[in-house]
Amino acid sequence: MDNSGLLVQVSSGLERMMYANQSGPLKDSTVAQISAFVYYEAAVISKLTTNKQFQNAFTKVMFDQINLDFGNYIDALARSRPKSLHHVYEWKKTGNKTARLFKLNKLSAEGLSFRIDYDLLPSTSMVPSANGRRRHVFANKASIMEAGKPLVIRPKNSERLVFEADGETVFMPKGMPVTVKRPGGSAATNQFNLAHSRFFSGRLVNESIKRSGFQKIFNSSMTKALRVPSNIKKVQYSFSANAIRSQADAALTASFGGVM
Amino acid sequence: MTANYKLDAMIELRKYLWKELHTRNIFDEDDYWSDNLNENIIPIIPVQQSAEMNQFLSGKKHIVYDKIGMSYEDNWLICCEQILFTIYSTDISEINEIRNYMTDEFRRVDESARSINKWTGLSDKFKFHAVYIADISPTAPSEELQGFFAAEVILEIKYSRITDGQGRFL
Repeated sequence: MDNSGLLVQVSSGLERMMYANQSGPLKDSTVAQISAFVYYEAAVISKLTTNKQFQNAFTKVMFDQINLDFGNYIDALARSRPKSLHHVYEWKKTGNKTARLFKLNKLSAEGLSFRIDYDLLPSTSMVPSANGRRRHVFANKASIMEAGKPLVIRPKNSERLVFEADGETVFMPKGMPVTVKRPGGSAATNQFNLAHSRFFSGRLVNESIKRSGFQKIFNSSMTKALRVPSNIKKVQYSFSANAIRSQADAALTASFGGVM
Repeated sequence: MTANYKLDAMIELRKYLWKELHTRNIFDEDDYWSDNLNENIIPIIPVQQSAEMNQFLSGKKHIVYDKIGMSYEDNWLICCEQILFTIYSTDISEINEIRNYMTDEFRRVDESARSINKWTGLSDKFKFHAVYIADISPTAPSEELQGFFAAEVILEIKYSRITDGQGRFL
């Protein structure tokens, strides 16, 4: 049983203490009030990890920072090693934040956990051409170059392929395709995946989590949610367990429902 | 008074790193004498200038740096930056030497910052609070510069710029 489940179980024992007419040697408003106080705090804490607003706020603040730091990390690496990472940017824009062809995704998981994967996005810019005629978009540039898949180029709009190689114009026989063994160069193969692994398996992701300021959620919002409602502060001989649980729900929603 | 916005903590760190590297004889300044400029070139260069320097640095060990990102903490006086250093050399042992020096120098968090603050060459407009190593890559053959090996060191620095009473840079 996780800690929150254990807390619910233990605090349920307080329910019968919150009524003035309970059996047993202790029968006064103080016992009822202390029980209500502890019951409320236990309810807030035990509901915390299952509270949707808290989960969303917690994972969002962390993911947003990781997303920002990872993007900046790949941009800087790409500027330093353009041959390795040019393929995850639009043509001639290696290391440019606005030309990225990768995107991190946050995948939901149980409780406060979440998983992160990435997508390589299709390119939308024209393939640069030495003769200035840009007519083609190599949509799957990033994923094909990352995988190092051989590429077969066939004539589509004309009867033969004509291209320049080493300053010479090459005319291919009619209908003949050209195979590019390592599009993007062998230096690019699997390099984004390696950089991604390095970021997420080393200290960089931990630094990013620390920087996210997720502690603020605990420092400010948790303090707010744990503030005991005024009715529990008043001297009473009985408290409703149902009402206290509802108040705990409402306090969590009020604390974590808004923008942090 | 107008602040000097050309000042940059990354450049201050680069100056400190170079001072340490040549006073410890890890680099020999005379290896980087430029007849054209009639002066020594510091072989720790920003990534934006690395293409122009390729010919001059051909076969010579050097370091290329770039800023990964910067942000301010809740306490907006403290700036946090990550700087990526890529060490290039044709000799793997030279890369190890530089990497080991950087590890020794910059792993000590506030003590590393204290060493920089004590250096008389540091601009009096900066105060470093912490420097530590965020990541070190293994050494591998460089894809960018044929014949070179390369390794990366990422430093995270926390510092303040000295400000006036309104919190503006001096």
